[in-house]
Amino acid sequence: MTGERVKRLDLAAVSSRSIEIQALMNPERMQGLGFGFALLPVLRRLYPAPEELARALKRHLTYFATHPVLAGYVLGVAARLEERRAAGEPIDDSEIDTAKRSLASPLAALGDPLFWVTLRPFAGLVGILGIVFVPSPYAVGPDLRVLLCPLLTLLTYNAVAWPYRVFAVARGYAHADRPGDILRSLDLAELNRALSRAGAFGFGVLLTAAWMTLDPASRAWGASVIARVASLAPLWIGGFIGFIGLKRWPGRGVEVGLAVLLVALLLAWIL
Amino acid sequence: MLPEMMSVAFLGGTLALDRNVGWSLMLSQPLVGACLAGILLAPGSDIEIWALRIPLGIGAILQLLLTDASLPAAQRPHDTATAGVVGTSVALLGMGHIDHDLAASASGLFWIVVGVAAGLLSAIAGGWVGRLHRARSRGDVARADRLAETGAVAAFERLYWGGILRSFALGAFWAWGASLLGVALLMACVPNLVAAATGPRVGFVFAALTGAGLAAGFHAHVRGRPKAWRWLALGVIVTLVLTTVLFRGAA
Repeated sequence: MTGERVKRLDLAAVSSRSIEIQALMNPERMQGLGFGFALLPVLRRLYPAPEELARALKRHLTYFATHPVLAGYVLGVAARLEERRAAGEPIDDSEIDTAKRSLASPLAALGDPLFWVTLRPFAGLVGILGIVFVPSPYAVGPDLRVLLCPLLTLLTYNAVAWPYRVFAVARGYAHADRPGDILRSLDLAELNRALSRAGAFGFGVLLTAAWMTLDPASRAWGASVIARVASLAPLWIGGFIGFIGLKRWPGRGVEVGLAVLLVALLLAWIL
Repeated sequence: MLPEMMSVAFLGGTLALDRNVGWSLMLSQPLVGACLAGILLAPGSDIEIWALRIPLGIGAILQLLLTDASLPAAQRPHDTATAGVVGTSVALLGMGHIDHDLAASASGLFWIVVGVAAGLLSAIAGGWVGRLHRARSRGDVARADRLAETGAVAAFERLYWGGILRSFALGAFWAWGASLLGVALLMACVPNLVAAATGPRVGFVFAALTGAGLAAGFHAHVRGRPKAWRWLALGVIVTLVLTTVLFRGAA
């Protein structure tokens, strides 16, 4: 029993370490080693005796898996529980472990669809839309889109993700006794729905822009429909193989891309 | 070429950190990686326009093809982080050395196709390299437990920092090695392909890859998402209306 209290600086150190939580990720413990590593500044504060510190660290090297952006909430809750335990409250290992798991699983269930399935593709799409819509120099001078488009991708993703990252540990620490409040206040499902719709809208914009850019006759409305469709034959072929391939083998964009490349090379050679 | 390769290695290592360590800043997206590599490797002003557009083309197509909108557990173990860097490096370094052999009309698109091909192949092989890091991380579990049990907390921290350094080193080594290998293969093959790489042929392949990218984008943004078709249609209509209004205004 030390009676030490966690300081803001400790929580800030935990926040900064939480961004490296996956460095030793493995199937056996997932982010378990990273969790222990991130929590160390707090454990050092609460357990100055080396034996107690070692025991506390070992407690937090068990299996742990959640979304990396939201891991800070669980770290904050664990920091608060460890503080209470160090102050002499009867909190055992299993109680801390249960609190971690009960928060980590729903955060992963809400965070993965938002950040990996929706926001990440959307951020990439915004960067690609930048290529289409930001004016480019036609004669001389550097093409600044090479700087602007990745910046759009980075800003789109991080504008959503960083507020969660920066305040997660402090909020988890403050609401450690009411983890349900944390989950309710995040609005992750609503955000996911909104971004999903924005992604579909943005893809509609991209499709139209691609068609208007690549259709060589799109500004010559008098040309025959057959001629215009035929002029886009390679695009249709690639799109068809890509669509069927990814429908049959979801997530194998690399293999499907290589297949399209081979077919296109073959057809280009023959034709 | 040595300074350029050092830049490529540093960039590859940084992007590997973003993907593997948990930064998740999206630096490891193919579009971002390709553009950053383009900025680092931009050659002289005489071919600046194309040199900066090639990374955009490579990055956009790879971004669409490599965006896997599934949960991490269901994803294939491909290295999408360094694919954009390797693709752009191979294209720009190759262009700097052997561009004069190609017809000017096909030149830009040719290097985009080369970069996309290099990026796709690099994503597969990079996945194998990534397994080295994961295998070592698995071995670190027992070591971390032992260190915690013996109270060697500082040694545990060193072990963890070592894991971060290993991730950087593997990413850097892979980006460097794959780019070098790609440029070497290109220098060996391209002189034999000059006659065949005509403008229409290269354009055909480029358009097919763009089509595949758009199909992949459809799967990522529309398929299986509730009410996505309505929003897709709205996007199409808004773009058409705005374009028409803007064209009329300009006329």
